[in-house]
Amino acid sequence: MDQRLDGSTLLGNLLHTRARTALKNRAFSFLLDWMIWGYVAYAVMFFLNHYWYTWIPGHWYDTLTLPSWGWPLTIIATLELTVICRNFGRSLGMRAFGLDLYPTSGERISFVRRLLRIAVWQLSVPVACVGFWSNPAVPLHDRAAGTVLRSTREVDREETDANDALGIARVRKPEKRALTTQWGIMSLFLLGLTFWLGWTIIEANLSVLTRRADKAGDLFQKIARPDFRYFFKEDPIFVLRRGSFAILDLMVLTLLMTLLSTVLGTAVAFPLSFLGARNIMSFHPVGLVIYTVVRGFFNIVRAIETLLWATIFAVWVGWGSPFAGVLALTVHTIAALGKLFSEQVEGIDKGPSEAIRAAGGNFFQVIRYAVIPQVVPAFWAFTLYRWDINVRMSTVIALVGAGGVGTLLFYYKNEGQWSIVGSVVVSIVVVVWLMDYLSGWLRERIVR
Amino acid sequence: MEQSGHLAIKNLTKVYERGQVVALKDLSFSVKKGEFLVVIGLSGSGKSTLLRCINRLIEPTSGSVSLDGVDVTSLPSSRMRRMRRGMGMVFQHFNLISRSTVLTNVLTGRLGYTPVWKSMAGWFSKADHELAMKSLERVGLEEKAYVRADELSGGQQQRVGIARALMQQPSLLLVDEPVSALDPATSNSIMQYFEEINQSDDITVLTSLHFLSLARRYGTRIIALKGGELVFDGLPSDIDDSRFKEIYGEEAEEVEVR
Ligand SMILES: Nc1ncnc2c1ncn2[C@@H]1O[C@H](COP(=O)(O)OP(=O)(O)OP(=O)(O)O)[C@@H](O)[C@H]1O
Ligand SMILES: [Mg+2]
Repeated sequence: MDQRLDGSTLLGNLLHTRARTALKNRAFSFLLDWMIWGYVAYAVMFFLNHYWYTWIPGHWYDTLTLPSWGWPLTIIATLELTVICRNFGRSLGMRAFGLDLYPTSGERISFVRRLLRIAVWQLSVPVACVGFWSNPAVPLHDRAAGTVLRSTREVDREETDANDALGIARVRKPEKRALTTQWGIMSLFLLGLTFWLGWTIIEANLSVLTRRADKAGDLFQKIARPDFRYFFKEDPIFVLRRGSFAILDLMVLTLLMTLLSTVLGTAVAFPLSFLGARNIMSFHPVGLVIYTVVRGFFNIVRAIETLLWATIFAVWVGWGSPFAGVLALTVHTIAALGKLFSEQVEGIDKGPSEAIRAAGGNFFQVIRYAVIPQVVPAFWAFTLYRWDINVRMSTVIALVGAGGVGTLLFYYKNEGQWSIVGSVVVSIVVVVWLMDYLSGWLRERIVR
Repeated sequence: MEQSGHLAIKNLTKVYERGQVVALKDLSFSVKKGEFLVVIGLSGSGKSTLLRCINRLIEPTSGSVSLDGVDVTSLPSSRMRRMRRGMGMVFQHFNLISRSTVLTNVLTGRLGYTPVWKSMAGWFSKADHELAMKSLERVGLEEKAYVRADELSGGQQQRVGIARALMQQPSLLLVDEPVSALDPATSNSIMQYFEEINQSDDITVLTSLHFLSLARRYGTRIIALKGGELVFDGLPSDIDDSRFKEIYGEEAEEVEVR
């Protein structure tokens, strides 16, 4: 062990158990800082190209034209900025990983010492790469400047312990206002930069909204005068899977789709949710494996939106088939509800489970008598809420061929029959509103 | 194996992995049938851990617990569940299923005796229902049988907890600070239920208590824990001022609860 820095416990501790995490945090925080400055560099190049050179339509990333010597310059500048940013104050990366720069001696780190640290940092990297890394926790530049990069939480704890030992009441330094700190200003700056960048890339153009307002107005007028000709009566021209349907037919069908998929989804999600709850499954390592698999399943399936599932099933079972819609809604319901249910199960009070176990109850009896009674109200609430979502979702999945009332909506839209589109929209709004009201009412009744 | 009573605890040690806390240190004592044993000690001294190690709600790290000559610590989990039927437990925070009725709560005391498939459907035998009503009568709550458990007062909830434990027809009652969430008057009435159960049913009671005055009044024997070690084992009358300071620390002063 390196003893050059005397045997102070401060460094001694760092060298041992916490050294690795400290080093990891340090590396990650540096990486984050570097990425931040890289992002700023990118933005600068983008704006230079955008405002002073030509805008190449098509790929916005093509606009990053730099002379070949520009790249190394950019990289080095970014690196230097990162180092400076981390030496003069507390950078965003340091803040994110709970690090701060502390002096090993003296109250504060003087300007000269900071400059020295920046200079020696340049040496520190090659030295480390060649393997002269004698003390990983305190690299060359820290040694030269007499500083140390440490976890603020750790320092805090040590100070508290030391004060406790001396019987001194801890006087906590007041937190600085975020916007007076370096990382606070940097965060705000990044937020502004991102907004500006996004705005430019998306070509947000407010004038087009007013310029083309009369076209939209025309459309709205037609929709606002809905034509209910085909509400009860079937449209003779519209044919779907060898049948013709009125709006009402498909509306009822859509509601049945949502009912079926909500019930099916809940029925599957309910048992799975216990397998996906850590507190239930942690009785055995195998249980934890099951927990991980089930949770992974929920997360992956949930990440694929209903509309994508609908696309898949529409190809699978046939375009315009409501069965595809039911499958899509069910699959997404299982994953979404499963996750919500599992989290609910994880939040239960463990007192009742303890009591059931103490009375000789087994795993299933604990679930039946201690867990389920605690989670049932929330399960109902989530299910009804999900039904709500499914009703809304079912009106648009027809876009990708998964059946339902949306089929008519998109059919008439393509035909340019906006008044009939209006009647479908009104029907949908009424039904969604009614369902919303109904599920809210049920929620209030059931969940007590 | 030498049999020194009803419940025998030998070299019981519990180390919590998380935080490396040694909650119980090489604890040994035995309890005779029909005793009313009170465990006292400061907060964090390991009282709850001790009680939960006996019915293995917490797995002890080493040492053994035996009840009527059966080594509890080495039982496989299915036999352990059967073993637990004989040990009722009453909790500090009652641990009732708050959204279920009082009757259902009391019936769950029979789960160890009920086939799993029957209990899944919520069926309990007629005999169980009768026993439940009798237990509720004993704690004076028969008219509350169909009330939701969370509609009861703290004292009433604890009485439901007692009725539930009685459903197990246990030979041993493990009680973890039954009155620390209750006011003094209610505390005494709850303690009287335990006294009555102890005397008329000959059920051994092992309870932890915060107040020494209650321990003195109800216990036939007291053990004291400090930092997971046994620092006192004797009659309530043996705890004098110096003993008291030894258990609770120099600054402590005794508070009366009437
Ligand atoms: N699940 C746990 N994980 C880690 N440590 C624990 C756990 N439960 C208890 N401990 C620790 O074990 C020690 C004994 O705790 P225990 O709950 O048995 O004390 P107690 O005497 O019942 O205290 P109280 O009077 O406050 O209920 C304490 O230091 C506590 O911090
Ligand atoms: Mg306790």
